[in-house]
Amino acid sequence: MLQKMYDWVDERLNITPMWRDLADHEVPEHVNPAHHFSAFVYCFGGLTFFITVIQILSGMFLTMYYVPDIINAYESVKYLQNEVAFGVIVRGMHHWGASLVIVMMFLHTLRVFFTGAYKKPRELNWVVGMLIFFVMLGLGFTGYLLPWDNTAYFATKVGLEIANSVPLIGPYVKMLLTGGDIVGAQTLSRFFAIHVFFLPGALLGLLGAHFVMIRSQGISGPL
Amino acid sequence: MAKQDKDATFVGDSRVSAKRIPNISPSYSDFPGKNEPFWPNFLLKEWMVAAVCLVGFLVLTVSHPSPLTDKANPNDTSFVPLPDWYFLFLYQMLKYPWAAGDWVVLGTIIIPGIAFGGLMLAPWLDTSKERRPSKRPVATGLMLTALVGVFYLTWAADHEHSLSHPSSKDSGGAGHGSNATAPAPADTSFTADAVWKAQTSCMGCHGKNMEGGMGPNLQKIGEKYDATQIADIIKNGKPPAMPGGMIKDDAEITKLAEYMATLK
Amino acid sequence: MGDKREISRRTFLNYALMGTGGFLAAGMITPMIRFAVDPLLQGHAGGDKVAVGSPDEFSAVPKRVEFKVHTKDGWYESESTLSAWVTKNDKGEILALSPICKHLGCTVDWNTSPEHPDQYFCPCHLGRYTINGEHILGTPPTASLDEYETEVKDGKLYLGKVKANPRPGVNG
Repeated sequence: MLQKMYDWVDERLNITPMWRDLADHEVPEHVNPAHHFSAFVYCFGGLTFFITVIQILSGMFLTMYYVPDIINAYESVKYLQNEVAFGVIVRGMHHWGASLVIVMMFLHTLRVFFTGAYKKPRELNWVVGMLIFFVMLGLGFTGYLLPWDNTAYFATKVGLEIANSVPLIGPYVKMLLTGGDIVGAQTLSRFFAIHVFFLPGALLGLLGAHFVMIRSQGISGPL
Repeated sequence: MAKQDKDATFVGDSRVSAKRIPNISPSYSDFPGKNEPFWPNFLLKEWMVAAVCLVGFLVLTVSHPSPLTDKANPNDTSFVPLPDWYFLFLYQMLKYPWAAGDWVVLGTIIIPGIAFGGLMLAPWLDTSKERRPSKRPVATGLMLTALVGVFYLTWAADHEHSLSHPSSKDSGGAGHGSNATAPAPADTSFTADAVWKAQTSCMGCHGKNMEGGMGPNLQKIGEKYDATQIADIIKNGKPPAMPGGMIKDDAEITKLAEYMATLK
Repeated sequence: MGDKREISRRTFLNYALMGTGGFLAAGMITPMIRFAVDPLLQGHAGGDKVAVGSPDEFSAVPKRVEFKVHTKDGWYESESTLSAWVTKNDKGEILALSPICKHLGCTVDWNTSPEHPDQYFCPCHLGRYTINGEHILGTPPTASLDEYETEVKDGKLYLGKVKANPRPGVNG
């Protein structure tokens, strides 16, 4: 049955070449932890992606209960965490996953750096990777405010003050992020929009470019 | 458009080639040495690693509920802000005199700009063909120095924070623990006794009629503590913000504590 | 000749394509950008000054006044209560200080520490300030107390926005 469905689609769209290219590409010995245990360092990139998937899914589900509004945000987070079944786990995944994804990405960056994998011809992929790093930090910063608790509020205030101290553009950047004179209703909805739409959109595009480049250049050779 | 073979055949009137490649996995003998096909051999290993990580991760989420402190209150100025841990090193740097005040641009722009700019441009700064870390000492050395710096600053920030504010760290990690101390709504009709109104240093934080301000509302403090506990808090303070020893006279402390213990 | 025409037509079409694309992008993005930066271009609110009493009420001894300000945060409007310590020196100049300690934001009080009379004192971490709000070096605060903009109009003292106090710290 499945085979028939596959053949039906394949006849019309010729998907086999794409699929075989993905499935059959060679994974060299030096990145395979089954052969060299030290090759586990090559897992960090994949794990970063895995946790990113968890973040996207748990984030999507969190918005079923979350309301980005200064009156209701805190109550909705408290409700989804304490009243909704498995709320602790879903919010926990998103909260701890945010830290874990930074850790994994950090380790992945260090692996790439110390194995010199950013050198010619992979310069562009390194740059895209750094951009992903910044987008992730931006996601962390904007997401931190959303529960609208004291930790979030005051940490964001400090962050915005730091942005404010940048010469020339600082005050404008701060105003643009704050959306007003004070950290309040407009700030929260702005941070929500940036956290949920703008940065994830950029992240997906960059991740796509990252993977296409890896696939077409192949993994860097052994040291 | 790619040039098509003259005698290529297509599916119907589409541009999909009618030639089918058989969907068969190549034999393992096609992979030289210990190379493996991505699917299914290598992916299985990656997913096994991911499965171990997922189990650990789920255990973490169940055993450590995400923290949620009290609802944001811009007037609660006793709250000591602390950014998420991965920004701590930047935050800590701004505390040092060489990166604060007139030098704040150094701390906010120049040092992070050089660090991240250098990282971003690494492929063009380190152009040798050599890839081993030991063969490119400058790159390796700079990265190790930066790592030590980042780890030290993060540690220093956390250390300083836990030294000066032991309890706010607890409430950050213990999840809903701090909800218990959420302030009761201020009762505006409540009037404090003269024994309270004589204590200007208390009123500074807890308000003229104990309605709270920087410090919590104390109008029903008797529900939570008895007179001896209150006296102890007055003498020794209560982290993170309340200092001890504001009232020197023991008789006065006893009188005030007894009065406050009656407030229910 | 034929070749040249071919190229110039292609170039023309390329330019036309870029132009149309630019128009499409600009037409879509312009309203959105203006929408996003609106808070930057809106005038700063909070210019309203609040009357707190007659200048005659104040003297060289700091007096605490409380006043209400209207805060507008997007679609939320609320009243918040602020307070100030007001002094008038010999020359009749009025200084209104914010009572928010520059260390960690507790509330300072005048003359409440027996060891340090005639100073602003913060009970949280024992920060001290002089009567002009100058922070005393060696105590936790690293800046002088903020001051309010003041204005005397029609025999009344009006307090405006909070601004940084330019006075440096002093040894106490």
